[in-house]
Amino acid sequence: MENLVYVALFAPFVGSLFASLFGMSERKMFVGYVASALLATAFAASATLAYNLFTTGEVIHVTMMDWISAGDISIPFGFVIDQISVTMMVVVSFVSTIVHIYAIGYMDHDKSFNRFFSYLSAFVFSMMVLVMSDNFAGLFIGWEGVGVCSWLLVGFWYHKPDQAREDNPSISPSWAANEAFIMNRIADLGMLVGIFIIYWNTGSLQYDEVFAQIPYLSDTILTTAAIALFIGAMGKSAQFPLHTWLTDAMEGPTPVSALIHAATMVTAGVFLVIRANPLFAETPEVSFFIASLGTFVAFYAASMALVERDLKRIIAYSTLSQLGYMFAAAGLGAYWIALFHLAAHAFFKALLFLGGGNVMHAMHDELDLFKMGDLRKKMRGTWIYMTIASIALAGLPPLAGFWSKDAIIETAFNEHTYILWIMLVITAGMTAFYSFRQIFLSFHGEDRHTALGFHPHEMYKFVLVAMSPLAVLAIITGWFMGAYKGFIYQLGEGVQYEMSEHTHHLATYLGLIVIFFAVSGIVIAYLKYARTGEKAWKRNEEVEQGFFYKLLKNQYYVPKFYEEFITKPYAMISEVFWTKIDLKIVDATVDNIAKFFYSTGDKTRAMQTGNLSNYLNWMAFGGVLLLVIAAISAMIG
Amino acid sequence: MIGLSHYLIVSAILFSIGLVGVLRRRNLLMLFFATEVMLNAVNIAFAAISHYYNDLTGQMFAFFIIAIAASEVAVGLGILIVLYKKYGSLDLDDLASMRG
Amino acid sequence: MDNILSILVFFPAIAGLLGFVVDKESARSYGITVTAIEFFLSLWLWFSFDMNNAGMQFVELIPLIPDMGISYYLGVDGISLFIILMTTLMTLIGMASMGETKNIKNMIITLLFLEMTMVGVFVALDAIIFYLFWELSLVPMLYIIGAWGGPLRIYASIKFFLYTFTGSLIMLVGMLFVAFLYHDISGVWSFAITDWYALDLPVNYQLWLFAAFFIGFAIKVPMFPFHTWIPYAHGQAPTIGSVILAAVLLKMGTYGFVRFSLPMFPDASVMAITPIAVLSLIMIIYTAMIAYAQKDMKQVIAYSSVSHMGIIMLGLFAMNAEGLSGSVFQMLSHGIVSGALFMLVGMIYERRHTKLLSEFGGLAAVMPKFAIIFGIMLMASVGLPLTFGFVGEFLVLLGFYKVSPMITILAGTSIILGAVYMLRVMKLAFFGPLDKEENKVLKDLNARETWSLIPLVAIVIWLGVYPKPVLQPIDNSVKALLTFMHDKARTDEAKDMIKVAKSTKEAK
Repeated sequence: MENLVYVALFAPFVGSLFASLFGMSERKMFVGYVASALLATAFAASATLAYNLFTTGEVIHVTMMDWISAGDISIPFGFVIDQISVTMMVVVSFVSTIVHIYAIGYMDHDKSFNRFFSYLSAFVFSMMVLVMSDNFAGLFIGWEGVGVCSWLLVGFWYHKPDQAREDNPSISPSWAANEAFIMNRIADLGMLVGIFIIYWNTGSLQYDEVFAQIPYLSDTILTTAAIALFIGAMGKSAQFPLHTWLTDAMEGPTPVSALIHAATMVTAGVFLVIRANPLFAETPEVSFFIASLGTFVAFYAASMALVERDLKRIIAYSTLSQLGYMFAAAGLGAYWIALFHLAAHAFFKALLFLGGGNVMHAMHDELDLFKMGDLRKKMRGTWIYMTIASIALAGLPPLAGFWSKDAIIETAFNEHTYILWIMLVITAGMTAFYSFRQIFLSFHGEDRHTALGFHPHEMYKFVLVAMSPLAVLAIITGWFMGAYKGFIYQLGEGVQYEMSEHTHHLATYLGLIVIFFAVSGIVIAYLKYARTGEKAWKRNEEVEQGFFYKLLKNQYYVPKFYEEFITKPYAMISEVFWTKIDLKIVDATVDNIAKFFYSTGDKTRAMQTGNLSNYLNWMAFGGVLLLVIAAISAMIG
Repeated sequence: MIGLSHYLIVSAILFSIGLVGVLRRRNLLMLFFATEVMLNAVNIAFAAISHYYNDLTGQMFAFFIIAIAASEVAVGLGILIVLYKKYGSLDLDDLASMRG
Repeated sequence: MDNILSILVFFPAIAGLLGFVVDKESARSYGITVTAIEFFLSLWLWFSFDMNNAGMQFVELIPLIPDMGISYYLGVDGISLFIILMTTLMTLIGMASMGETKNIKNMIITLLFLEMTMVGVFVALDAIIFYLFWELSLVPMLYIIGAWGGPLRIYASIKFFLYTFTGSLIMLVGMLFVAFLYHDISGVWSFAITDWYALDLPVNYQLWLFAAFFIGFAIKVPMFPFHTWIPYAHGQAPTIGSVILAAVLLKMGTYGFVRFSLPMFPDASVMAITPIAVLSLIMIIYTAMIAYAQKDMKQVIAYSSVSHMGIIMLGLFAMNAEGLSGSVFQMLSHGIVSGALFMLVGMIYERRHTKLLSEFGGLAAVMPKFAIIFGIMLMASVGLPLTFGFVGEFLVLLGFYKVSPMITILAGTSIILGAVYMLRVMKLAFFGPLDKEENKVLKDLNARETWSLIPLVAIVIWLGVYPKPVLQPIDNSVKALLTFMHDKARTDEAKDMIKVAKSTKEAK
């Protein structure tokens, strides 16, 4: 079994190295095949490990070698395969395999095809390190590794020029990539501080040793550690106020968005909270803050999605919103529900993104929903997939999203946090509305694209076939919620969460309320966007000039705010530091000292007249001066 | 009675005359004369004090100074002659070639 | 090979002298051969180094002026060993990658003499010998900047020379005073550093001496506000000059703190923690911001060097093994990474004869190899895990967190600000459309350039993934140093502050 751990971990790495060998050469199809095959191997290994764990319940723990040891700290490369990490491994490797296969079709015209696979596999490797590590430092390796791969992949089309924010809210791929990296780094600092706190108070970074010490630590320490770690999670999972990078990251190729910015990397923050559940369970204030922030982000992101016209950005907002749901669950202590929603979300969101990629491919990179309409006739397969994914996202039974999301909302009710509950229910309605608004605007209603000269065509067959497992999972995952509960409960009390009797009784009604909101959202979307002929949707410029519409469209002016109050002042202060302080004060002081000596010499040079008579005068003057000094000192002494 | 102090006063006056000469004179030859005057002022002081203490060392030293002054003047005058031949003047204001 | 250290020091110098008779055409291959041999000698030193011995090894002691206690006294421990290795490596690589063609023979000879002085500084155990090499190292560098530099080279080289020289004179006064005190107490003269260690000085003496040494070292590091010579020196120096300057010469300052200030003045060092931490913080944040404002690619790297040196300084005064080992490790990583970055900038300068960021854009399309190596070095520079740059930075911040969480959090912004200015360079130079005609015809790295960079890339990744072979000997020496400081400290505050690693306590 230990070998399987290494297979799961290193197969993507080998794939990445293999692809990078051809990184600078022409497009070679076999690079894609090999990388995908290796990913499939990693998935097979992960699945075997999961099955093994399910049947035997034995947690596997391997230590590969030492990494850093200095002073009293000793950090190994160690990996742990328990219920939490194996869930993530299966999800990550599964979605990545499909995304790899998908990318063979999607990127087939790109001249940097090989480079793409090298980055993509490297990302999967980093993600595997992140989820498998048995210590916080190892987690941090993966954490930063996925950050770099995300940077590379978002900026994949680096040659595109910068545009004004009005024309393209993400400015350019390279700009978006840098934004993502830097925002994540801000959060990573928090994470590092968390690691420092943990190390100096427990003397170790190994999960098991750290968690064993928690009962002996003071509340202040636990709280600061939890806050610091959560700041790290906020960056990776794009929680407010570090969320702007996620929508801008849609500049990357769509498979990247599907894999990194929906299914895997952005869930790392949630994973961290779940992984460190013994810590967060001991810090109720922090946990409640996490839940509240999650709920807020769920609502906040959904509201922005309501008016967005860009297909990918809508899906990005929905990702943000769903991450908010996961944090809400994790913050309320329902770790396993958060993890289950994470997995379910990974499947249907990847499917949604890949479907979006099909549309983008068909429409020659046009993403404006207002320029689409009635695509279902030309892209039947994609239409079906995206509808399935949207139903799952909207949370209608019996698809995956219903079970997991309903459980989260139920948790909010169970914990008597009714405000959160209400917000989550309303958000569920909004989610249904915007996801179906997107479906109806693109696949239904009047045909708007033909007039604009678009001739969409369906994606390759093999790509559609490759997507089918995701579609199946988006439907059925929820049915296995009970089984999964049993599986993860093996891990111990920390992750167990049960609804109270009272909630249990009301469960059906609670579910019905959620379904009611979701269905209403869909119906409203249908009435407004899906009809043809007389009642067909027409663009209404007046609404678009409204205050709320503009507020939402401009993402509550948060990016603008960052630009005006952080980016620009930073550049300005830097400039002042350089030209005004460093050159004019610090350096000038040094130069002035040198100049003082120089000018003193220059002025006293006049003494050197060359006239012997003058020298003799100076000599006499000096002699007298010495005599006087001697006399005075004799008198004083 | 002429005592030690009288000699020393004479010596001091002579020295001052020499010093003023050194400071004021512009001609190199005159500078030499002035330094000679100063040396002789010192010699007087040496001789007087030596007599006062009944110690011959001071008078011996005065002889030394006379001998050295003589040789110095010999060398110095030689240099002066060369200088005069080269620049046609012994005025210090004309000889400021070391001006910084 | 009993005299391995003497051979290491003087082999390049003798080869440099012989270099005068070497033919002009073969000067470069001669230089590369000599530095390669020197590098292999230092490798041999590493292999025969006893990893479990934390003390001085390969000691050579020949009395020179016994009456004054001055002797020819050399030795290495885990701390200096790797700095020497880095010195010989960077000289070799710098020479191999050198694109300079003007007066190549003089350059080679100068570099060989420079190598002697650099190695000399790191092996010297006698203060006078140390000072000798320390000052001598200025001369070749003065010549390199002054003869091969840019338009402002005379100003830059004189500034470099006078600034560092002034500092070291004050340090010399400090050294003489220590020797005088030693004579006062023991009755004999000695300039051996190991003898000085035994000197138990009153706290007020320690403070004055610490200050004298501080000025000498701080200018070299260079610490804020003594850093302004470095932008000129880097800006005007030829590539090889910048590489050596950033990789090795700056490390002399931090090495000086480890070799002199910490063990000799433990109480003063503990008292200096706060002021030094504040200065380091200013270095880290302020120069990182200045780096962001630069228009010249090389100046970005120059200011980033200062910023990274701030991290190293912080680690030196963490007073625990984590921070101090991390700091020494960071010296090495900074040497390799910033050296490589300067080489890369030099390569693009040779092609375009400009270093202005505004002249570039979209280079990744025409120079993919260059962009990849630059990217790797960039990531190492911003401290990405599994690269060389992370280990040291992580340990330093970890170590200093014990001293002051607040300062550590502020210093930790270096991982953000570093990313900000480096990614700006990456975006402006390599990304975006390739819109300048001159840039469209640029050639990618040639074989010579590629092969001189690949070893550095390999080291950056190797020591990021598996730092143990280097970190462990450093750690041993650092632990011994801390134990020594702890035992020697007079005041209770200092004894509290200086943390002896648990593992050393258990070993006792």
